[in-house]
Parts: sequence; structure tokens; C-alpha cells
Amino acid sequence: MSMPFRVHGTPRRNILQAGALAISGLSLGNYLRLAAAGEVRPQATARAAIFINLRGGPSHLDTFDPKPDAADVRGEFEAIPTALPGVHFSEHLPKLARCADQFALLRGVTHSLAAHELGTAYVNTGNRPLPSLEFPGYGAVAAKELTAPRDLPPFVAIPNTAQRAGYLGIRYAPLSTTQAPIVGRPFQVRGVSLQEGVAVSDVERRTQLLSKLDRTFQELEGGNSLIDGLDEFSRQALSVITSPRTQRAFDISREPQAFAAPFGKTPFGGSCLLALRLVEAGVPFVTVTHDGWDTHNDNFEALRTRLLPPFDEGLSALLGGLAARGLLETTAVFVTGEFGRTPRINSQRSGRDHFPRCMFMLLAGGGVRPGQVLGESDATASGPLHEGYSPDDVAATFFHLLGIDHRQEYQTNTGRPVMIVRDGEVIRPLLA
Amino acid sequence: MRMRSSSFVQIACLVLSVAGPFVASSRGAESDEIVPPANGRFADPATQETPDFQRHVVPLMGRVGCNGRSCHGSFQGQSGFRLSLFGYDFGLDHKGLQQRIDSKSPLKSLALLKPSHAVDHEGGQPLPPGTWEHTLFRRWIESGAPPRPAGAAGFLKLEVLPASIRMSREGEQVPLQVIAHWDDGTKEDVTCLSRFQANDPAIAAVSEEGVVMAGDPGDTHVIAFYDNGVAATPVLRPYSDLADDRYPQLVARTRIDELVQDKLRLLGEVPSEVCTDEEFLRRVSLDIAGTLPRPQEVREFVADARPDKRSRKIDELLETPAYAAKWTTFLCDITGNSDAQLNNATAERARASREWYDWIFQRVQANVPYDALMEGVILAVSRQPGETYLDYCERQAAMAGSEPASKYADEPGLTYFWGRGNFQRPEDRAIGFAYTFMGIRLQCAQCHKHPFDEWTQQDFKQFQAFFDRVRFNRLSPVAAAGRGPADVADRREMLAELGLAERLMGNDRRVLADAARDGKLVPASELAVLPPAAANPRRPANRGNPRRPQNRVARLLRDAEPIQLDAFDDPRQPIMDWLRDPETRLFSRAIVNRIWAQYFHRGIVEPTDDLSLANPGSNEPLLDDLARRFIENGYDLKWLHREIAGSDAYQRSWRPNETNRLDDQNFARAVPRRLPAEVLLDAIRTATAGSDERAGLHENLRGRMTTYPGTPQGRQPVAYGLTVFGRSIRSKNCDCDRSPDPSLLQTLYLRNDVDVFAQIDRRDGWLDEVAGTLRPRARQAQAERDRASGPRPQAPPAVRLARLQQALQTARRQGREEQAAQLQQRIRKVREEIANPPPPRPRNADEPFAGAAPRRPDLPPIRIETETARNIIDEAYLRTLGRLPDDEERAAAVEALSGTDGLAGVRDLLWALLNTKEFIVNH
Repeated sequence: MSMPFRVHGTPRRNILQAGALAISGLSLGNYLRLAAAGEVRPQATARAAIFINLRGGPSHLDTFDPKPDAADVRGEFEAIPTALPGVHFSEHLPKLARCADQFALLRGVTHSLAAHELGTAYVNTGNRPLPSLEFPGYGAVAAKELTAPRDLPPFVAIPNTAQRAGYLGIRYAPLSTTQAPIVGRPFQVRGVSLQEGVAVSDVERRTQLLSKLDRTFQELEGGNSLIDGLDEFSRQALSVITSPRTQRAFDISREPQAFAAPFGKTPFGGSCLLALRLVEAGVPFVTVTHDGWDTHNDNFEALRTRLLPPFDEGLSALLGGLAARGLLETTAVFVTGEFGRTPRINSQRSGRDHFPRCMFMLLAGGGVRPGQVLGESDATASGPLHEGYSPDDVAATFFHLLGIDHRQEYQTNTGRPVMIVRDGEVIRPLLA
Repeated sequence: MRMRSSSFVQIACLVLSVAGPFVASSRGAESDEIVPPANGRFADPATQETPDFQRHVVPLMGRVGCNGRSCHGSFQGQSGFRLSLFGYDFGLDHKGLQQRIDSKSPLKSLALLKPSHAVDHEGGQPLPPGTWEHTLFRRWIESGAPPRPAGAAGFLKLEVLPASIRMSREGEQVPLQVIAHWDDGTKEDVTCLSRFQANDPAIAAVSEEGVVMAGDPGDTHVIAFYDNGVAATPVLRPYSDLADDRYPQLVARTRIDELVQDKLRLLGEVPSEVCTDEEFLRRVSLDIAGTLPRPQEVREFVADARPDKRSRKIDELLETPAYAAKWTTFLCDITGNSDAQLNNATAERARASREWYDWIFQRVQANVPYDALMEGVILAVSRQPGETYLDYCERQAAMAGSEPASKYADEPGLTYFWGRGNFQRPEDRAIGFAYTFMGIRLQCAQCHKHPFDEWTQQDFKQFQAFFDRVRFNRLSPVAAAGRGPADVADRREMLAELGLAERLMGNDRRVLADAARDGKLVPASELAVLPPAAANPRRPANRGNPRRPQNRVARLLRDAEPIQLDAFDDPRQPIMDWLRDPETRLFSRAIVNRIWAQYFHRGIVEPTDDLSLANPGSNEPLLDDLARRFIENGYDLKWLHREIAGSDAYQRSWRPNETNRLDDQNFARAVPRRLPAEVLLDAIRTATAGSDERAGLHENLRGRMTTYPGTPQGRQPVAYGLTVFGRSIRSKNCDCDRSPDPSLLQTLYLRNDVDVFAQIDRRDGWLDEVAGTLRPRARQAQAERDRASGPRPQAPPAVRLARLQQALQTARRQGREEQAAQLQQRIRKVREEIANPPPPRPRNADEPFAGAAPRRPDLPPIRIETETARNIIDEAYLRTLGRLPDDEERAAAVEALSGTDGLAGVRDLLWALLNTKEFIVNH
């Protein structure tokens, strides 16, 4: 039915108030066009995701894209065969080599931002950073789009993350644990875990007192967004703090020894185990940050001793653990740094420097077709051999797995319409 | 947010009827000079008139949506055809259309067939045959599709009639008439070629034809767009029948109150009562100084019988260092003091953000006029006249080390403002500059005509030209004015002295940082203005053409006079002059509006960084008046604070009455606001502090979050609280970089975070003090046991780390280097402890979680007498909420304290009070 009185555009007032309440608005024409192309609300294959950020920029050559025959760039490590015929990894990733059939590897991913901060913002949002707009991290978008149980935070960062709520507003910000757990040790998460000696009954007693004292703004209830928001979050906070399920999920020391041991007694391994427990409990989005990959100095020594063993152990245990619990099918795992590292080895410092032209990314679970290598770098791993994938494409695919249409438009807090991923295309061969 | 039962759908279904008599008469007055509207002229398909490309064809395309974002205005175009987004690139638009015009048989042109749907068109049928729109477009094509002629008259302004609309009932309709003025003196009724937008359709909707329809009571604006013009028409419908002549006689105590009341009178809205003394004291202390009032202060203030006690209190607060700290934080927000953007601006990490803070602090404390303060930012350069790079670096080095000979705050200019990572390219500077000093969002105009303002892309380019001669080189000289080689040699020698090569690599930064901290000579960053001849914009696009033509011209926004940039040694000077010109208005309006917004829940214009034509303030006369008087009073910031905080408008109660309940934009009542991140964290600390510390917190800034200089980085312990409560990230040129919103994480923090419990349970905190007075003997015995068995259990490492880092910051700031070194040692140890935590004691699966704040279970519980309990409760209320409890609250609190463990009751009470909404909002 057409109305004789048509009105232009999104009401500005709504735009201006959008901040936390941002509305998404595909125009009808666009919606129908995208629907026809099968792009709208794809059936989600993943109901949760774990994003692992290797901060600092891991060397692609010394991990998943070795070039043993390129004498100038090959470095100190040997390449070893993997579960996939003809595919080789670094010798320091033996466990991941054995389970290479559980994930998909992208080689020759490429971009041009060689600074840590910019590259990190790029791979954590799927959008090249802009000076005038802070894009929300994947987890913030997921927190907005996916439903989480009421007694669990929708977006948890272990121990912290580069993903921020950006223009979506602070209510989609991650809960950061600020510390990484260690397998076998009890673990406390600020704000969530109960303090020593405090029982749920103590919380309830205090909360009861609070409800008697917190009456001042009763007059405003139902008519003031701040007061109503505070009341709503108050109820939700109580359910988080008093939920046995939530308390259990964060305490990795409750995991049976046999299951927990393969993760290794490292912060990264503990983080992977916690991520798994959180997803199992129903948290839709978890990030794990593994720092220290900026190997300008002593690249090989650092990788061999400090970086690769816990990574190899933790990630393979995570994939195996998810599979064992029946969660891998529905949990998308995405592993990336902000860039690769130079094929050329700087001789004085025996290190490799920033290199965004060629890097790897790894995806698994949640509808990813495992056991394949997509893309290819050239003979010296100095760039993609063919066209190469962009971080935007991988981002689009990642959202696709979660059933989030990456072309969906949000209004930013300044009223500007922006697609979730502005430039990406779903990489179809990645999908199962 | 108020709830509205929008009756918009009903309105929308009403059929348009007659035009109001009011408009008919205004039309009659000028009709002889105004070209009648195109919808009449082109109604007859046989018309021979040739439409004008700029005046008719482009606006028509805008109106029917051709150049919209989802159609041909998209940057990718649509089906191979692209128009400029929101118009105004006449060359591009004409070229695109021309390719779709068949000059031999114009009627077969794709440009005509597609929109009239003779040929399939994805975008529907915006120009159905037989309509005046179709005729207009056809006539243009038939006439040879002429472009905008060179030397065509320019657009002057847009006039909308009536100038304002007052509605009296829902569903009432008033048509708008839009008249375009051109600089050749012609005028045309362009209503049918304009686009309209309602800023709040629940109050006033507008049809595509420009007919305004009344909805709920309230006031808003309807905006008309045509060519580059944007015109706002206020629309108002009173909330009650008390409007105008029937408005009650009220006293307007100040000029602000008069102007607020003028507006409220039109709306039939009666302001709420003036708030109580307790409410005023807490509100104004938090707003001016970011500090909770002291319990004793509350008692004294309430007892004070002097009629001017409120203005005395305002004056008193404005003299505290806490005032300077809070407003320095505010100015650091809008100028963008961000560690993330200042990476390597100084050799020593985080020095730039600290010096930035101190530079502003010194001026706020001395109440330097706002224009002079900002001139120091705008015209900053690094070197003094005649200084070599070596001299300059020596001067900078003298500001560091154990006994600094001088300080950055004494420098005339805030050079770091120009050294931010997001403020290097001329286009980024244009955006950032407009944001900070003018409160406008120019970023839209970087890529297309501004949709809500009159800036075009051309305006943007001409504005950014002011900035391309300004250079900030990190840890290097700006090689200019013939000194280049000497400067470079200076730098090389400094680095060689430290054993470093010219090109700095990874670890070199650390060497440099250590040297800088010790006050050794290191290369400093330099801000300088290149002379005109050397200007060579660093944009990659210009690489092939390093010497751009000279005598470049720049133009200030909204000011048609071109400026010869080469005539100025510093091209920023004409902008400074222009900002200072009272006619410019943006400079004073932006800051007055932003400061207003710190005292209320919103600015007079909201958002406060969007002073665009399409976003007028809710009370323009008020903003104009305040901005004008701010200039007349010499840009005196304290005057402005006094003026605002001293008004009844500021001192209203938050309790609404029936006439103002639905309105939150005209300052008829106070609207609760969540405390800003720093103020909230300080308030928690203050409320839990022991009496000695508590007494000094207005004067003593040690450890106050309002003294935190830059942007907290992920791993700093203070970062967590600040981030959770939305401290500004200071990097996106948006006042929304700071968040006032509530969130689940904030509530979890207040309810259950280790930081909050650490504050409640801290040694010598209020709770500890209460415990001491309740059982002096037990306390003594405990002290003896402590002496015998070593220290009390330590706070958890994260808490200790936070404390140590706070102390380190203070020590550094006060130049106590020896202590700083010791603190660094201790910080390293705690870090190690965090990295390698001691093995936990064994525990069984059902036990609660490992603890954070240790309590003292070895002391026996103690009962509290009712009389004592009452005193404790009063004190708890005063120190958190700044008032005494009412009877019901007191009864609940007494009950909480009456258990066997009275002290646990006090702890519960303090926790509960910190968790009330009343505590975390200013009201």
C-alpha cells in the first residue's frame, strides 16, 4: 500500500541518538537484490567464534609458509610434512602439522599497512582503519548480532584484545580477563568471579540491602534511558555473578586433568582452554591474544623457544578439544597476526621485519572446509602468487560463518551509514 | 528517553488539504519578484522553457533520489553510471549524463528512458511520463542538455517561509515555501525542487512536498535542502495550555534564566524547583572539581544561612587545583591528547602526553583566556627565533633528568598537538582542526558535499591548504630555511654520541628513551612552518609534481574571501585571526556549547561537535548570547563556569513536573548523567578514604584520575576502570570518543571488581578507621601480632601494581627521581610475581574462588550499638551521596548493621551505597 504522505530519510534525531542503539538499515531495493543473490542472512554454520590474535606479526615463512628451497629467505628452520599431502609447515609446529586436516590455511593474504597499530586494527575489524571512524571489532559486532545467555557476557577477551566497540558504543565492549589463566591453577576474572570467602548468599544479602536503598530515582523509571539502563544492567550483573554455570566456566581448574594437560602449562594454552570452556557454556565470542611476535631481533631463537611451542601445543589442543566435545562443528576459529615478516633476514640482528604484503591466516570449525590450503605465495614468500586474499575477504567469510551479513549497514554514532565490512567478498572455497 | 505514542501513521494517512492562510499571505508579499515554482511552469508538456542544469536538473535528480547513496551517488556508481553524492560536482554529473543522451533523438536517450521506465530501471520509476518532473528533464535534454554555463550566477542563500511554525494541535499542517536567492539578484520558488527532513518526526513530520504536520507536543526543526543551501525552520507545539500569555509569573534570576524561560514560555513548560542545598553541593562539586563534597562540608553548607552561599561555593571550587585538573582533562579530550597517536613524538615514552597535560593545566589554573590558550596550540612552533637544532634539543633535554632546569609548560606553544599520528596529512588536519576549534564535522566534505551543511568538497580542499606548510618531524629537525644540512649534522652527532646510527631501529628506541629520561641530549621532534617556496605537500598524489604552482589561495569555510597563503610566514595566522573575529561565531559557540554540555546532560546544540546548519540548537538565542558575552568578557573561562553554574537553570531539581516531564532539551529540569570515568573512579576512592585523606582531596591531586594525562594503554592497571567507564580515546575527532552510556561491564565492575573491594578494604580507608574506633583494643592487639608475625597480608599483585604505578607517576611528575627508581624496581618485582604467580594452595572443587582482597578473619565479630550505628550510617551517606538518609533508608541501614558482625554490615552498607544509581550519576 502506498501512502499519500511520504517522509524522507532516517529521522535525524534517531541517527543522532543511534550510538548504543544503532539501527541497521538496508534499503528495500538493496535487500531484495542481495536476497536474490543469496547474500542475506545466510544460514549460520557457527554459533560461536574464537579469534586468536598473534600480536606483533608472526613470520609466515617460519610457521605455515616455509620456503626450504629459497636459500636467501628460508631461514634456520626445516620444513616438515603435514597430514595434508604435499603441504609443509615449520619443524616447530609438529602438532599442528599432524592435525592439518582439521583446519584451513590461507597463504598469500596481503595488505599494505606495515605499522602494528594500523595492521592490528585492520585484522581485528575487517576494515582498513580510518582517521575519522573507529570500526567495531568482530566481537563487538557479534555481541550485537548474536544472542547470549543472560548470565554470560557476550564477548570475552583473554587476557585483553585490540577489538573495541568503536562506533557501536560502549555496551558492546569486551569483558577482559586482564590475566591469562594457567592450566591446573584456579582462575579469577575481575567483576565476574566471587571473591575469596564470599558466597552467593553474601551477594544476595548485599543486593537486598542495595534494593532497599536504591530508590531515589523511582520517579524516573520507564522515562529515562540512563536510569532504566542502569536498572537493567544491575539485574543482568546479578545473574552473571550468581550463576553457577558462569562461575564454573571461568574456572579452568575444574577441567579434568586428562583433558586439560594437552593445552600445556602456558598462558596461551590456559587461554585456549578457557576460550573452549566459555564457548561450551554459551559465550558467543571469545578472543585470545598471544603477544610477542614482533621478532626484529633473534627471530629464530624467539620462535623456537618462546613462541612456537606454546602456540603449537595450545592451538592443536584447542582444535582437538573442540572436536572431542562436539563443538568444532559450530565454533569458528580464526587465527591471525597483523602482518607477515620480511623474507629477507636482517643479518646483524638475525631478525625479520614487518611485511604486510604476504602473511598467513588460519580458519577452522563452524562451517569451514578443513584440510585445505587456499592461496599461494610466490617462490620467496614475498607476495601472493596470484591475486591473493585481503583481510576484508577473510572478515566477510568469518561473519558469514556466524550468519552475519557483512554488507549489513549500521549507522555510526555520527549518523554515517557504514557496512560491517566495507570491501570484502565471501571466500566461497573456504566454506564446507 | 521519553516515550511517545506516535500518531505518525494516522498523520501520514491524512490527505493533504489546503495551504494555511498564513503562508498564502507571506507568499503574496514577494510574489512579484520571485520566479514561480517549476512544478507549475513545467506542468504543461508543451512548455518551451529550457531548464537550468544547476538550478533545476541537479536538484530534481537529488529530490527524486538519483544521486543518493544507494543509487548513482554511490562511489562505485550504479550500473556503470555515477553521479556525485548529494550533488555539487557539476562537471562529473554532466559528463555522466551526457554519455546517456542521444543527441540525434533526444527522446530515446537512456537518461530519459530509464527513469521513466520505458527501459527497465533497477531504481524504479522516479520520472513517470506526463509529470512535470518528466517534462522538465525532457526539456533539458531536448534543448541539448546544456551544462552549467561558465560564469553562471552563484547560489547565495535559501529562505524558508514561514520562518517558524507554531502548532496548536496534533495533525495540524503547514506548508513550507522555499526560495532560492542567487547572486545575480534573481529569486525562485524552489519548494518543489527541495528536499525536506524532520529532525524529530514524532513532533513534526514533513512530507516530500514540504508540508509540516504536527505530532506530539515539543519543539524541533524541519530542514530544507536545495543546491548548497540548508535552512532550518523551528516547529513548536506547547506542552500545556500555560503557554504565552497564560504563562505564570516567574523570576528569571540571571540572563541565562531569562533566555531559558523565553523558550519555556512558548512551550507552556514550567521549570522544576531549584534543587536542595545537598543536591546543589554534590552536583556542583562533581561538575566543577570532579570531587565529592566532604561530609563536614555538607553539614556546614546546609547550615550556612548566607543568601549567596551557592555563588561563594562556586567561586571556592573554581580556585581548587581539582578544578584545573578536571577541565584540563576536558581540554585534553577535545585537543586529542592520546599516547597512541604520540608514539615516538618524544624519545621517552609517554612524556609527550604528560607535558601536554601539564601545559594545559598551567594555563587553566592561571585562567589564561581561552583564545590565548588556543592560540598557543594553533600557532605553536618548536624553535625560538634564531635557535639551531642543537640549541633546541639542548633546551628540550634540560626539561628532563633529575633536576630539570625548565619545563615544557613554560613553552609558548603546545607543539605536540601537531605531532599526533592522525594529524599529519593536510586533509586530516582540516578535519581535526575543524573538530577541535569549530565543533564541526568536516569529514563528510572530504569525499562529497556535506549532506547537513553547506560545505562542498571544494571548500574542504581550500581549507586544507592552510596546513600543508606545517611540518612535525618525529625526533628529527624540519630541514628548512637553509639550515637543513647543519640540522641534520646536529642530529647525526647527537646520535653518534649515544652510539646510534642515523636510521633508528627497534632496540635503538630504548637506548634513546633511557638517555632522554636521564636528561641526556637526544634528537627532539620539531614542529615548524616551511617557507612558501618549499611547500611540497607530502601527499603521494603530488609526488610526480613536487613544486606546486606558487601563490596558492586558501579559503576559510563560510567565508568567501580568498586568502593569499604565501603572504603569510605562518599560514595558520589568518585562521587564528578569523577564529577570533566575533563574526565567525564558531570558535566561541563551539567551546561555550561544549562547556555547557559538561554541566547538563546535553549541549544547547547536540551533538556538541556538530554545529551544522541542519542541526540548530534547542535554544539558539541562549547560545548566541552566551557566546557573545564570553567574548565580551575576554574569553574568561571562569566567568563562563560562574555564569552557567550560577544560573537557576543549572540548579534545577531532577524531579520533573507535569509540564516538563516529556521535554529533555530545554533545561527546565536537571537530567541525571552518569559520572565521567575519571570522576567516578575518584569518587569511589574519595568515598572509601579515611578521614585524613578525605579531608585533603579537593586540594591534593595525588593519584587523582583527573590528573591522568594521556590515553591508558591496555596493560596499565588503571586502564581497566577508565576504559570500562568510557574515558575518551581521543583519536577519532569526535566528542563521542568519550562515552556517557551505562554498560553491563560497568555494573559488574561496581558490584564485584577487585578494584572496588580493594578500595573498600584498603588500609587506613574509612572502613579500617571505623573498625579501629569500634575496637581500639582489638586493633592494638592486631598491630602487635602484625609486628610479631610480619606484615599484614598483602593486597593482590594487580592492586599493588596499580598503586605503585600511580606513585611512580606522581614521583616522576614531581621530579623525585630516586624514589621513582625505587618504585620501578618494585614494579618489576610485582610484574614478575604476576607473570609467575606462586602455586595456589590446594582446594576442593566446591570452594569459592581464589581471593583478591584479604580480610581479617582472625578478629572476632563485633556488635554495634544502635546509636553508634546511626552515626556511622550518617557518615556513610554523607561521604557517598552527600546527604543524610531519610527514615526509611536509615531503618534499612540500621538493620544491616545490627547483625552479630556489625563491621560486615558497615562494609555491606558502604558497598550498597557505592552501587546505588544515586552514587554513580550526577543529579
